[in-house]
Order: sequence, then structure tokens, then C-alpha cells
Amino acid sequence: MRIHLKVWRQAGPDQPGRFVPYTAEDVSPDMSFLEMLDVVNEGLIAKGTDPIAFDSDCREGICGTCGFMVDGIPHGPDRGTSVCQLHMRRFRDGDSVTLEPWRARAFPLVKDLVVDRSAFDRIIQAGGYTSINAGGPQDANAILVPKTTADHAMDSAACIGCGACVAACKNASAALFTSAKVSHLALLPQGQVERYRRVVRMVGRHDGEGFGSCSNEGECEAVCPKQIPITNIARMNREYVKALLVDRDQA
Amino acid sequence: MLDSKIPGGPLAEKWDRYRFAAKLVSPANRRKHTIIVVGTGLAGASAASTLGELGYNVISVCIHDSPRRAHSIAAQGGINAAKNYQNDGDSIERLFYDTVKGGDYRSREANVYRLAQLSVNIIDQCVAQGVPFAREYGGLLDNRSFGGAQVSRTFYARGQTGQQLLLGAYQSMMRQVDKGTVRSLPQREMLDVVVVDGRARGIIVRNLITGAMERYAGDAVLLCTGGYGTAYYLSTNAVNSNVTAAWRAHKRGAFFANPAYTQIHPTCIPVSGTHQSKLTLMSESLRNDGRVWVPKQQGDRRSPDQIPEAERDYYLERRYPSFGNLVPRDVASRNAKSVCDEGRGVGESGLAVYLDFGNAIDRLGAEVIKGRYGNLFDMYTKITDENPYKVPMRIYPAIHYTMGGLWVDYNLMSTIPGLHVLGEANFSDHGANRLGASALMQGLADGYFVIPYTLANYLGGAALPAVTTGHDAFGEAEASAQAQIDRLLAVKGTKTPRQLHRELGAVLWDEVGMARTDAGLRRALERIPALREEFWQNVSVPGEKNNLNKNLEYAGRVADYLEFGELLALDALHRTESCGGHFREESQTPEGEALRDDENFMYVGAWEFKGVGAAPVLHKESLDFEYVKPTQRSYK
Amino acid sequence: MSTFGRVFSSSVGTKVLIGLTGLALFVYMLLHLAGNLLIFAGPDTFNEYSHTLISNPLLLPVEVGLLAIFLVHVYKTVRNYLANTAARPTRYAVKTNAGYTSRKSVASSTMIWSGLVVFVFLAIHIWQFRFGTFYETGDEVAIRDLARTEFEVFSHPGWVLLYVVATLLVGLHLRHGIASGFQSIGLDHPVYTRRLTLWGIVLAVLIGGGLAVIPVWVYLSQ
Ligand SMILES: Cc1cc2nc3c(=O)[nH]c(=O)nc-3n(C[C@H](O)[C@H](O)[C@H](O)COP(=O)(O)OP(=O)(O)OC[C@H]3O[C@@H](n4cnc5c(N)ncnc54)[C@H](O)[C@@H]3O)c2cc1C
Ligand code: HEM
Ligand code: HEM
Ligand code: SF4
Ligand code: F3S
Ligand code: FES
Repeated sequence: MRIHLKVWRQAGPDQPGRFVPYTAEDVSPDMSFLEMLDVVNEGLIAKGTDPIAFDSDCREGICGTCGFMVDGIPHGPDRGTSVCQLHMRRFRDGDSVTLEPWRARAFPLVKDLVVDRSAFDRIIQAGGYTSINAGGPQDANAILVPKTTADHAMDSAACIGCGACVAACKNASAALFTSAKVSHLALLPQGQVERYRRVVRMVGRHDGEGFGSCSNEGECEAVCPKQIPITNIARMNREYVKALLVDRDQA
Repeated sequence: MLDSKIPGGPLAEKWDRYRFAAKLVSPANRRKHTIIVVGTGLAGASAASTLGELGYNVISVCIHDSPRRAHSIAAQGGINAAKNYQNDGDSIERLFYDTVKGGDYRSREANVYRLAQLSVNIIDQCVAQGVPFAREYGGLLDNRSFGGAQVSRTFYARGQTGQQLLLGAYQSMMRQVDKGTVRSLPQREMLDVVVVDGRARGIIVRNLITGAMERYAGDAVLLCTGGYGTAYYLSTNAVNSNVTAAWRAHKRGAFFANPAYTQIHPTCIPVSGTHQSKLTLMSESLRNDGRVWVPKQQGDRRSPDQIPEAERDYYLERRYPSFGNLVPRDVASRNAKSVCDEGRGVGESGLAVYLDFGNAIDRLGAEVIKGRYGNLFDMYTKITDENPYKVPMRIYPAIHYTMGGLWVDYNLMSTIPGLHVLGEANFSDHGANRLGASALMQGLADGYFVIPYTLANYLGGAALPAVTTGHDAFGEAEASAQAQIDRLLAVKGTKTPRQLHRELGAVLWDEVGMARTDAGLRRALERIPALREEFWQNVSVPGEKNNLNKNLEYAGRVADYLEFGELLALDALHRTESCGGHFREESQTPEGEALRDDENFMYVGAWEFKGVGAAPVLHKESLDFEYVKPTQRSYK
Repeated sequence: MSTFGRVFSSSVGTKVLIGLTGLALFVYMLLHLAGNLLIFAGPDTFNEYSHTLISNPLLLPVEVGLLAIFLVHVYKTVRNYLANTAARPTRYAVKTNAGYTSRKSVASSTMIWSGLVVFVFLAIHIWQFRFGTFYETGDEVAIRDLARTEFEVFSHPGWVLLYVVATLLVGLHLRHGIASGFQSIGLDHPVYTRRLTLWGIVLAVLIGGGLAVIPVWVYLSQ
């Protein structure tokens, strides 16, 4: 197949950007979307021109490195699929596809389709952990955890930190990302000790990074490659209210 | 002979004795020591967080845009630990024994025993961090069984165990970042180790965003940079995995041990075309219910449902009646290759075998199969557009893990004093073949529980005069790293780094892959230098050095693989025995199984660098088996 | 920062406040609808009802409270809207709705505009009714003849149109608002949330439609 691409090219954060058209020839339906871009880049490199910058690593949907807008949808049209797992059989010969980077104040552009998502690290840094030192813990089976609780915690912990939720949200809110981590730890007994302090600090950092708030549109859930549900956001808000009401020390 | 510095005493007491005898660094002095940790996978993140907790001043660098994205995140199956929660006869001794046997008697007993001891603490630590391991209805931790073991000792978090363990370590590390003990510097690629007065005292990194060279000085350097599976171009490893950090350290004097020990995983999704950028693993657990077969007839192009039962060859069940489809990875892989070499492979390329769930679905129903493997089937469908509930899966072996790595002693210290190597980057615990679910265990044991002691022992015993980044050695290392970058940009040829990498990969896969021969290895040793030559004549690296240039990063890694590949082939050539993942066709039993040569090869082969293209020097560490008697592995 | 400050400044605190005030307004709209539907029972019943309200000494504090809720809601939503806009300084050239489980709708995308129009309407509305022409009626005691005011206002097609538009916008606002408000204050349940989302839409239609019928009916019945 032949695919027509319109790709956002921008050499750096302070340089002007624009869409540049490319054509991918001989695209096989078995290619992943990124492999299709690899082929385009191979052509550019062989000609001695700067290839399209995009990031990826695992290429199996687990590391969260990849991600850009495919025709206005983060990671493209397939449900629960990161762009590295999107395959070209989803497209038809002659299709035109527009690629744009994530856009959010908290995700400054680095180059072309690559943005800086370090804000996520700082949100985790603000409290997305249990304060446990290596060497201290008791036996792993000392605290029983109901299977359903562990399963729910796992559902939330599955977040790969890709940033698609922010990209999709009209408010560029990282509510889904933040709430997924808050939920994961709030659900487990191991996370109880710092439960309230955690949510207040993480939300504070979230806001400090310049993300917007959540208007409950659920676009994030629909594009999330791990299909993290927005019930996590409700839980985060609940935890936050409880933190302010219940645990005065932390508030 | 290399000195592995194994402490004295009975096996079970060695680590305790070591810890008692080890030197310590007092809490007040720890923050005066700067420790550089390169890599943030399970090994690196756990080391950085633990050293931070202890009060050291830690600098953590990685090539990813966040420490959380290290390749460890992709591990699916699980992590072993000798908890014996299932009451099924597991023990530290048994985990130790299984690992030594699984490694085909090419690992160091003392290291493996320590690993088995520490496995228990890892699970405690991870659960306390909030890792959501699978549970039983009663609330206790659940276990599954994995290849090469007769007990259930594998802990798992769905098919995302590596992710959850890594996030646990990453979160602990970010906690230390918040406390100011760890400085996290992502998007930086280590290009050299700085050696001052014979000790590793710093690193040179390239800031991948600005392109600037940066210097970091410290009292010790920990390399936790993962394996070199991507030397083969196509592998199950993440596309940015590389040998660069280890290779540059090798060039500065760290010996490289057993590079030829590579692991080929039997159940991966086959290659679909030249565009392929990586291969995807399908968990080993599928072999519990799937039956492997190929047509009996050569070149049989009928679709699988058209091939009657009588014309199918369930070759694993036929050849290994007792283990059947559950033979270890190396055996399953080699057999798949040999039936494909006979021309009985399936699929368009003829390089695949069927993994058929038809019988299992008839017996258990599609629902049960879905419950067990649903997410794997979905992934398979996403990639191949085929429905494995209806059509048998097509699978083929692929490079998956590398047992070889930088040589380290019992302290995890390389032959450069102060340079420690952790995780997959070192050669230490898996011998010639790694058992499933034990790489995660090793990475975390190294980082959480071994390095805090052995590092203190080093720091406490070494004279470490203050060194700043102004030292000449930093200048020299930076200049050589910069020169390489400039050289890459200056070639301005017509071939892309990927093309050249693909060619190198094809050579390695054909000649240093699942079955190796003297003639083939010699061919590889001719082809690789020629490819290297071509690379430096004709590689195309457009763009600039002073901003994000992924192709430039990649070109640098390919350049290192073109040097490393030669060592890989050379090591395989020199080891004329077969053992574990290293199969020399000249050395096999009459039934075609790997035949070890314990008399001549019961050693670790560690190579010393002597210059690009110059013959490296082999150093040996002899392996003494005091507790386990090496025998011929049999899975008949 | 103090608890109070956090509620007022953080993204989550902001949304909790918007949710609480929004839901309070929703309840008010329910009551308001119920009361106003009495007009169908005839002017006397309606006037009696409004008299009970007006003559209650508690009315003033309730009115002040209601005003405060409105003001907080408006202040927070406008500030929130501005902050959210600032969170994405460069807009997408192409942006498509994600579909699947997304709750994005015309209603959710226009909350600020439906809200602002309703806000302007409200000023007019209160001026027309709360502070509008004061007729008296009643046999023994004189009570306010609100029905008459209403019939007067809704004799002009222009006013009728404005009311219909405004009340439909309230319905639209609540179509997203009801479920959203519960989500914002963290009330979420594996089973009830789905029912709530559905009922939210039903109630939004009832409130919007029910209110819109009143001016039309009054107009037509004259
Ligand atoms: C698909 C797959 C599934 C697996 N499943 C299992 C399993 O179920 N159980 C199991 O036990 N094992 C499994 N393994 C093996 C296991 O995942 C790895 O061996 C292990 O995670 C390696 O961890 P590490 O910390 O040593 O290195 P990695 O996780 O590879 O981390 C390397 C780090 O080094 C950094 N780095 C690399 N090069 C440089 C450089 N030049 N400069 C600076 N930083 C650098 C990277 O950024 C990264 O942070 C699996 C492997 C694969 C490929
Ligand atoms: C009849 C009056 C009103 C009612 C019943 C009402 C109700 C609600 C409800 C229930 C919500 C959902 C709360 C949440 O998402 O947490 C909401 C949100 C909102 N309201 Fe109102 N509201 C009214 C008037 C107004 C007015 C006058 C404005 C003027 C600006 C306004 C602007 C908004 C906005 C912008 C939101 C969305 C907030 C967001 O983005 O999350 N509303 N309203
Ligand atoms: C067709 C629809 C409506 C009718 C017939 C109607 C009717 C009335 C009447 C008769 C009053 C006077 C009550 C009094 O003074 O005690 C009133 C007051 C009021 N109405 Fe409405 N109303 C309508 C729609 C709305 C809407 C959509 C809103 C909200 C956005 C609203 C908000 C109010 C408020 C806040 C008051 C003042 C209450 C008070 O001060 O006690 N009304 N309305
Ligand atoms: S919540 Fe989903 S979309 Fe958001 S970062 Fe996590 S995985 Fe990506
Ligand atoms: S799309 Fe945005 S509005 Fe909330 S539900 Fe998701 S964060
Ligand atoms: S590259 Fe890892 S998730 Fe896409």
C-alpha cells in the first residue's frame, strides 16, 4: 500500500514547526505503524536528510516510550493499543494520516514528535511510593491481601506512563495518570500508612507542573493503551477529600 | 587465572561470613562518597534506591526519557524465589541446584547460592513496596511453575511482572530523588568510563537532548546497562538496548566473559518481513497446553486444518516422551531449527512451527484457554491478524537473553577496581543457560542486597583521593568519545545504520545463532570486520550532534556491535564444546543433544581487549563444583 | 497551605467545589421545577405555594446561600476554564474524538458556554420575577400574584424564546453535569455509577424540557 503522511517537523522547542508531507511506499499490512515510519526514515537517512524524530523502545506496548497523535487521536484509532502495536492493516491504500506530537504545557516539545514527559517522574517523586527501605520488611505473606483487592490494584498499576491521557484530554489533565498511582497504592494495605499525605502531595505536584483539571470527559480512558478507567479519578478525588477532612496533619 | 574472591567456609555460610568480615562505611561518611549508577533497570534502579537509602550520594543515568522505561519493564513471566509457600519441596538448596543444573554447570556455585538465599528477601521487599503480585482467594501469594523446575516458585503479576517490579524499584528510587540522595539524569548515554590511577572514578555521558558531553566524577561506578541481545538486530529486546556501555568499559580494561552464551527463546512470533524491527515473545507458559508440530512431508504448503492428524509430526513429543513440549528453552529452540532446516517449516517464510491449541480447546473449552492465555492470544492476533483459537499459532525461536557479560568477582567488581557490574550486564549467575524467571531475581538481588555490602567493602578498603572532572583522564575520555561522534557524522555515506545492523544481525544469527560450526564461525569472523570496514566507509548519519539525533545514537551503538560481534564469534569458536545455549554441532551426543567437554572447558572465558581488530587475550577462571556433581542433562 | 486554601486552589479541590455547588444547584433546579409546575394546577394553587415560600422568614438566608453557591460555582468554573485553557497553549491541528467509552459530548464540550448564557439569563430572570412587578391578590390576606407576573412576561414571544433557550441550556449543562458532579466529589460505584449516568441524562432532559414547557404553555394558553 501507499500511505500519505503529514508529519509535524520542528527542530527544537524554540524553532518554528510545520507539517511536512511524506509518502510511504510499499507498506505491508503486517508492519507496525512505527515500522512504517522506520521505512520512511530509512529513505530520508539514505538521502542524507534528518529523519523524523519519534521515540520508542519495547515496541510491544509496555514501556510507554512511544506515542504521538495519529489523525487527532493519541496512539491512533485502535482501542487499548499503543502506537507501536498499531498495525498498518488498519489503514487502506492511499490513506492520508496526520501525525502530531502530544501537546500540553507540561510536556514541552523536544523535537518533531518527541516531547519531554519528565513531569510524570516528578509527580511520582512527590509520593508515588511506599517509604520502605531495603532490608526492613517482614515476610511477604504476613499481610493477607484479598484477591480482588490485588486485582484492582494491578488494574491501576498497569499504567505505562505514556502520557496519552494528557494528550487526549481537552484540559491537558494528568488526572488519569496521577489517580492510577494513587489508586494502586491506596487500595493495598502496604499503601495505607502514607495514604493521605501521598494524594495531597501528588495532586499538588500535578498542578505545579501545569496540567489542567479533570472535567470528566473520559477521553483519556478511551485512548489509554492499558484502558485504565476513570473510576480511578473518582477514587483520587475521594482520597483527597478524606485527606483534607480526616487527616488534618497532612492537609 | 582470575581470582573470583569467593569467601571461605561452607557454601551456606559464605555470604554470612563475607558480610561479617566486610568493611563498612559509617553513616556520616556515606554522603561524602559519590556513586555513579549507570542504568535504571531492575539492577540499576534497585541499586540507586538502596544506596540512596543508606545515605550515599548517588548519580543515576539512563538513556531513556524516564528511568521507568528500562528494558526490564518488558519481562512477562515472573520471578523465582525459594519461599516454599506452596509446601511442595522447594528450598534454597533446590533453587541453587536447579539454577546450576539449568546453567549446564558453567556458573559459579558461590554466586548462585547467594542468589538463592537472597531470592527470599526480594519478595518481601517488593510486596512492601506495593508490587501487586497475584494472590489466591485466601489472600496469600500465588505461584506458578516455570521451565526447568519441578516446584512452583515463580511469583508473578499477570503477564507484567517485570513492569511491576521495575515500577517498585523506580518508585523507591524516585523517593530518594525527592530526598536529595539520588540525582536522576535520564536521557544520557554513557560513552566512556574514566579510569584514574587504575580505578574507575567517573563517566563521560552524552546528553541526548542537547548533544553536550558531560562529565561525572565519583568513588565507584556501577554498570547496570543490560544485555547485548540486540547485537543480532532482531531479538525480543527493546530497540534501544545496547552493548555500548559495557563495550566501552571493556575497552578500558574490564574483561568480557563468555560472550557466546546467548539464550534463544523458542516461542516468539516469527519474522514477517524485512521491515521487522524487533520480535515479540510469547510466554513460555503457552507450552503447557499448546502442542508443537510441523507437517511430516517436506514443503507441505497446505493450510494446517487441511493436514490430517497422521501427517503431522509432533516432534517434541516424539523425541522427548517424558518432557514432551516442556523441554527447556535451548532444546526446544534447536529442534525447531532442525525441522525447519529439513524444509518442514511452515508459514510464508518456512521459518516457523505450529503451536496448536486445538486439542486443549477440545478438552478444556475455549473459555478455559482464554482465561489462561487470553492476553497472549490477543497480542498474537494484534501482531499477526490470525486467530489462535481457530488456527494454530506460528512460532519461531529468537534471541532473548545474554548470559555472557562483563566479568565480575564475588563482589560484582570487574577487573577495573571500582567498576561494578550488576544485572544482565555481568556474566555472573546463569552459566551457559538461564532458567525462566531468574533474571529478574538476579537483577534485584544484585541491586537491593549484594551491592550495598560489597560496595562498602570496596570503599572502606580503598584509598580514594579526591578526583574532580577537571582531571586529565576526563579530558582524554571526553575527547575520544567526541571524536567518535564527529567521525560518525563525517562519513556521509549512503547506507543507513539499520541496514548495516541488519546485515550484522544476519551474520550472527546464521553463524553464531542456535547451532554453531567451526566453518561458520570462521566465516563470521571474516564477514564482521568487513562489515565494520564498510560501516566506517559508507554509513549515513545526517543531522547534527547538538540536539536530539536518534540516528546518531543508533549509529554509535551499531559501531560498537560491529566490534563486539567479532568477540562473540571468537568466543564461540574457541569453545569447541556444546553447553547450554552454546551449541557446537561438532560436539553432540548421538541423539543430537549438547555434549559438554568438562575436561577442557570447565572454566569461565574472560577476554581482555587489545585493540580493535587485534586478537584479545583469554583469561580463565576455573569452575570448581564442590556441591553439585556435573552430569549430562537429559530430558528424554 | 491550609485545608481551605487547598480546596480553593488545587485542581482536585476546585473540582470538588464545582461538583458540590453544581449538585446543589441541580437539587435546586429539581425543586424549582416542581414548584413551577404548579402553574398547571391553576394560578391560585401556584400563588399559594409561592406565598408559603415568600412568607417564610427563612427565605432570605436561603436566598443568600443560594446566591453564594451560584457565585462560587461561577467563579470556580470560570477560573478553572482559564487554567485549563492555559494547560494547552498550542492547539492541535487535528483532534478527533476518541469514541469507545469516552463521555465527551456536545454538553461536555460546551459547559462553560451553556453556563455563561444561563448566568446572563439568571440576572434577567431574577430581575423579572424576584424583583418584578408586584401584583396583589387574595380574599382574606393579600398575597403576591406571581401567576399574573408570569402570564404577563410570557405573553411576549421574545421572552418565551429566551426562557426556552435558557432552560434547554440548563438541561444541556446538566446532561453532562449530573454524572460529572458525582464523579468530581468522588462518589463512584461499580454498579450505581452506570445507572447514575443514565438517570442523570433522564433528569437533565426532564429539568430542561419541563421548565421549557412552562413559558410555551403559558403563552399558548393566553
Ligand atoms: C521480552 C522479555 C521477557 C522477559 N521475561 C523475563 C521473565 O519473565 N523473568 C525473568 O526473570 N527475566 C525475564 N527477562 C529477562 C530480564 O527482563 C532482563 O534480563 C532484566 O530485566 C535485565 O535487567 P537489567 O537491570 O540488567 O537491565 P535493563 O533493564 O536492560 O536496563 C538497562 C538500563 O541501562 C540503561 N542503559 C543502557 N545502555 C546505556 C548507556 N550506554 N548509557 C546509559 N545508560 C544505559 C538503560 O537506559 C536502562 O535503564 C525477559 C526479557 C525479555 C526481553
Ligand atoms: C442552573 C444552574 C447551574 C447548574 C444546575 C449547574 C450544574 C453543574 C453541575 C452539576 C456541574 C458538574 C460539576 C462537575 O463537573 O464537577 C457543572 C459544571 C460546570 N458548570 Fe454549572 N451549573 C449551573 C450554572 C452554571 C453557570 C451559571 C456557569 C457559568 C459559568 C456554569 C459553568 C459550569 C462549568 C464550566 C462547568 C464544568 C466544570 C468543568 O469543566 O469541570 N454553571 N454545573
Ligand atoms: C421557565 C422556567 C422558569 C420559570 C417559570 C421560573 C419561575 C420563577 C419564579 C416565578 C420565580 C420567583 C420566585 C420568588 O421570587 O420567590 C423564580 C425565581 C428564581 N428562579 Fe426561576 N424560573 C424558571 C427558570 C429558572 C432557571 C432556568 C433558573 C436557573 C438557572 C432559575 C432560577 C431562579 C432563581 C435563582 C430564582 C430566585 C429565587 C429566590 O430568590 O428565591 N429559574 N423563578
Ligand atoms: S493512564 Fe493510560 S494513557 Fe495515561 S499514562 Fe497511564 S497508560 Fe498512558
Ligand atoms: S479526558 Fe480529561 S477531563 Fe478528565 S476524564 Fe480524562 S482527564
Ligand atoms: S515502544 Fe514501548 S510502549 Fe510503545
